[in-house]
Amino acid sequence: MTNSSQTALSIHSISMSYGANKVLDGIDVSLEAGKVLGLLGPSGCGKTTLLRLVSGLLLPDEGIIEIAGRAVAAPAKGIALPPEQRGLGMVFQDYALWPHMSVAKNVAFPLEMQRRSGAECRDRVAKALDRVGLGAMAERRPSDLSGGQQQRVAIARAIVAEPPLVLFDEPLSNLDRELRECMVEELSDLVADLNLSAVYVTHDHGEALTLADHVAVMRGGKIEQLACPDELVSNPATVAVADFLRLGCLLPADRNGDGWQVEGTSVRLPDGPVASAKSTLLLPERAMRLGSEGPAQFKARVLRAQTRSTGHALTLGIEGTNHLIRLVSAQRARIGDLIDISYSPEELRWFPA
Amino acid sequence: MAKATTTGAEGSALLRWIATSGLLLVVAVPCLFIIIQAIFPDIGSGSLAAPFSLFFRTLSDPDLFGLAGNTLLLGVGTVFFAALFAVPLAALRALFKVPGAIIWDALLLIPFMIPPYIAALGWIMTLQPHGYMEQVTGINLAGLIFSVPGIMIIMGLNTFSVVYFVLSRTFETIGARYSDVGRVFGAGQWRSFWRITFPLAMPGLAASLLLVFAMSIEEYGTPAALGRRIGFDVLVTGIENRISEWPIDLPGSATLSLVLVGMALVAFMIQRWLLTRRDYRIVSGKPQASDKRALGLWAVPVSLYFGFITFLATGLPILAILATALSRTISGGLTAENMGMDNFNELLGKGSEGLVALGNSLALGVSTALLAGLLGAITAYSVVKGRGRFRLVLDALSITPNSLPGVVVAVGIILAWNQPWLPITPYNTPFILLLAYICILLPQPVRYATASLHQLGDNLESAARVSGSGPLKAFIRIIFPLILPSMVTSMILVFAVASRELVASLLVAPIGFQTIAVYIWTQFDQGSAGLGMAMAFCAIMITTLIPLGLIGLLRWLSKGQVAGLN
Amino acid sequence: MRRLTLALTLGLMASTAAHADVTVYSAGPGALIKNLVKGFTAKTGIKANVFQATTGKVMARLEAESANPVADVVVSASWGTATSFAEKGLLLPYTSPNAETVPDFLKTDTAVAQGVAGLVIGWNTKSGTPKPTDWSDLTKPEYKDLVTLPDPAASGGTYTLVEAFTANGMTDVLEGLKDNGAIVAGANKAALNPVLQGAKAAVFAGVDYITMGAAAKGESVEAIFPESGTVVAPRPIMILKSSQNQDDAKKFVDYVLSPEGQNEVAKVHLMPSRTDIKVDRPLIGDLKLLSTEGAPSREEVLAGFKKIFN
Repeated sequence: MTNSSQTALSIHSISMSYGANKVLDGIDVSLEAGKVLGLLGPSGCGKTTLLRLVSGLLLPDEGIIEIAGRAVAAPAKGIALPPEQRGLGMVFQDYALWPHMSVAKNVAFPLEMQRRSGAECRDRVAKALDRVGLGAMAERRPSDLSGGQQQRVAIARAIVAEPPLVLFDEPLSNLDRELRECMVEELSDLVADLNLSAVYVTHDHGEALTLADHVAVMRGGKIEQLACPDELVSNPATVAVADFLRLGCLLPADRNGDGWQVEGTSVRLPDGPVASAKSTLLLPERAMRLGSEGPAQFKARVLRAQTRSTGHALTLGIEGTNHLIRLVSAQRARIGDLIDISYSPEELRWFPA
Repeated sequence: MAKATTTGAEGSALLRWIATSGLLLVVAVPCLFIIIQAIFPDIGSGSLAAPFSLFFRTLSDPDLFGLAGNTLLLGVGTVFFAALFAVPLAALRALFKVPGAIIWDALLLIPFMIPPYIAALGWIMTLQPHGYMEQVTGINLAGLIFSVPGIMIIMGLNTFSVVYFVLSRTFETIGARYSDVGRVFGAGQWRSFWRITFPLAMPGLAASLLLVFAMSIEEYGTPAALGRRIGFDVLVTGIENRISEWPIDLPGSATLSLVLVGMALVAFMIQRWLLTRRDYRIVSGKPQASDKRALGLWAVPVSLYFGFITFLATGLPILAILATALSRTISGGLTAENMGMDNFNELLGKGSEGLVALGNSLALGVSTALLAGLLGAITAYSVVKGRGRFRLVLDALSITPNSLPGVVVAVGIILAWNQPWLPITPYNTPFILLLAYICILLPQPVRYATASLHQLGDNLESAARVSGSGPLKAFIRIIFPLILPSMVTSMILVFAVASRELVASLLVAPIGFQTIAVYIWTQFDQGSAGLGMAMAFCAIMITTLIPLGLIGLLRWLSKGQVAGLN
Repeated sequence: MRRLTLALTLGLMASTAAHADVTVYSAGPGALIKNLVKGFTAKTGIKANVFQATTGKVMARLEAESANPVADVVVSASWGTATSFAEKGLLLPYTSPNAETVPDFLKTDTAVAQGVAGLVIGWNTKSGTPKPTDWSDLTKPEYKDLVTLPDPAASGGTYTLVEAFTANGMTDVLEGLKDNGAIVAGANKAALNPVLQGAKAAVFAGVDYITMGAAAKGESVEAIFPESGTVVAPRPIMILKSSQNQDDAKKFVDYVLSPEGQNEVAKVHLMPSRTDIKVDRPLIGDLKLLSTEGAPSREEVLAGFKKIFN
């Protein structure tokens, strides 16, 4: 899976419409070999369409897609390689295992298509199945396996031919939560072990942040932000990104003579960098503490309190407003209590309104 | 698969090409010549003189309204009786543990295998005065059988198993999942059936009833055998009369055929529309046999009811056929001294014509099933993958023969393939029968394949393409094996019908070539009803046992994993 | 699959080879044409291929094939087809040397009778009804609801009889039949079958050779030639002008009219058209024949019949 070319995937100003509906609008993104690109966004944002464009199952209206330095789709030049000539591996949301073939036959299929010898096939299939922990299941039918096992087979099938790029289309969304968390870790190890170049589509930011080296947050057919996970969390580019990643509380703010305050209230805010009169403010959850020790504070009333395995999940209303804050605290709080919340002003993020 | 967007994973161009040229060759060419014949009466002798001269004369024939009205009446009546027989049986079979359910299913397959004209003859010989029934019980039902409702009942008995099989599967799926929910919320067993299960099964019921309608308006044997006696003529018999009674009126029969095609196409359009509205996720789910309720005390009456209907649909015609086959003379009646194996001995004697006809028909039946199955699967795939006008044309062509009477297909085929300028032609070879059968029966496999393609997830093919397989290979390795089980079912149907097809065979059979149906017909024509019935009995046995054996073998090979065969 | 291919290939080869042989399109009875072809090939060494069906189907096939005719010789059960073909100029004029003893009314320049069928009452001897001797007997109360007759539209023989009745002012018999509950039941076989089983006692206007054939098989049925007279249906054999194989076709006609051929005709209970063939059944000379002279057109005859029976 090591590739001489430095770029595993590059996408230049890709656009795509279904009739009058523009699904993708000028997408630019590229991926270094050995890295994982996460495509993250709500349903209908175009992430799956983008993945299908890369796979060749759809063709773009304009733009250029290159895989490992080779143009695979470029309508302007009349290039449109069908999926089978792009040398990919792909894991589908519904697994798409072929029910009439055994697990081993499913996994061997890509090798067969490359006309590898029988012995080589057997060897590599066994290796791939061992890697996903299903070495013993080779002769079973896919229908005899559990959901998690089926998805492992699908992963084995995608990596067995050591493709220069592996595509994951919401591979874990059909699994229940516990299994999903476990599979994310397994996948993450696998990707690292094999030094895979991969595109990983998901609507779950946890998966994207865990697995991807770079995450493209998409919305309405455009990329809102393309960054590494740390950067995304600490520096969301837009309100939408902050909202989608559930980074914390988004408050409308306005400047009122001498300083900033939450719009329509008298809750005062520290000075922001924004020059305009209005702004949207992100108060990140990780910047907030219960208590009054921090550099800035406000008061909030406890509206809901739930016990979680990781602490107490509180829903708070900022006193004097109807803005809600959610945070997990180690301390217990009673419903109806008015408590102090402190935060550090430098962790606030200001967005132009 | 139903999505038709700009896709990089186009279906195989080769398959598209095969489907298009196959349909053109098998369906479009004869259809075109029928239309030409309707317009140009002298096309048979290569002349385009007097266009439309007979077309409008036939359309303004006052008989036409009578024929069309009777056809509609017969179709609706047959649908009524088919529903009456099928719905209770299907509901019982699907929702309760009916004793011997598998055996009833197997027995109810047999009506497909009995040629309708033979079944009608069997009924006549049983119910008419001094018929087998009177000889055994002393009463006859001549008044019932020689009446319009009688024809409807018999055609209903011939066709209701189509509805039974579709509906019991639908009920099975729905019943277990949804009607239980209704019962949790307080609906009684009956209310939950009528309010939940039955409405959910409506699309399937309506679609299968429309199929029965289309089958009954193009059916020839029963109306010909029974209707003629009471002066009840329908379009098909009108068409057939124009072709087989001197003086021959080919343009008239072609024009009437176009009327019939119109009626059947409307029925099929409605059926299409219903099927596209139908929620496949409900219908495609796996039957959950475990949820069936026990019948308790009702087991006996329900079994008797199954037994009664099965006896009417299967037992009685077969017994009548067998009785005639075993009788030395018809006028001898059911007496011990009149019974014997003479007819069977003559039929199966070494080197007899009967054996040759059996062999011919079986070979033709198997080749038709294989070729129609393959072309049907490829056509359905191309339609499902296709886009725009191409898809529409292919789709329309693939269902047209459904509404063409066999005799019209035969004339179209002769007109098309006996042109003097053709350098080579299958005409006057057994291949012409193959062409005719494939044309008549192609809609069956197309229908089955389309339904089963719609149930395949999109990604199964996508996964193959991304894994490096070309479109053709993806079809061969992934799609075809996955739709094969339901293709086998449809191919069995094709085999059964092709090996006993009469109307087209009589006209296009190559010189000196006998098939089962032609042989039977010849025997009747020579007054050897017993020999004809002996052949009919053997043919029914063979066409029933071969598919049953095949299904058993497939089940055994796949260890019960092939869905869709039960 | 291999057997299948083999069977189809053999069939294909057989029928391609067929083009060099005489091709005969024949209306029933199948046994007759089969034996004629067998005897013909044995005698002349020329192969003959047969398409056998009803007269209607034979004509339909000829019509559909008219752009590229396949048949050399046609045998029909209706003399009208010969007249009509001759008018259209489709027939090759030929008078066989063997036709010398065929009466003039059974031959024209282009056609000659292969054999002749007579119209009879087919009566079930075990029906418990008195034996009928004339057409009008069947209008008597003893035969109430017990008579069938073939549809003249489907049966050439019945048509000729109805035509003769119309010409001779005997349609009251038909009316009497209708009033007596007689039913019109399709073609000849469909009309005879209920009589064999006993559902009906008699078929009015049955075809003699079919009834005699059934009797010979042991069925309790008898062919009765009515006293007031009947009609005959000569079965024309003709050579198509389009035949590529006219010499062999002529030889076939010669064979059919030869004593051997005519004996085959007699074997299926048809009357031979040659008067010098002796057979143990009533022959044309023995029958009282009704004339069809002065009958109206086919359409009118059928319309008159339909008026009575609807």
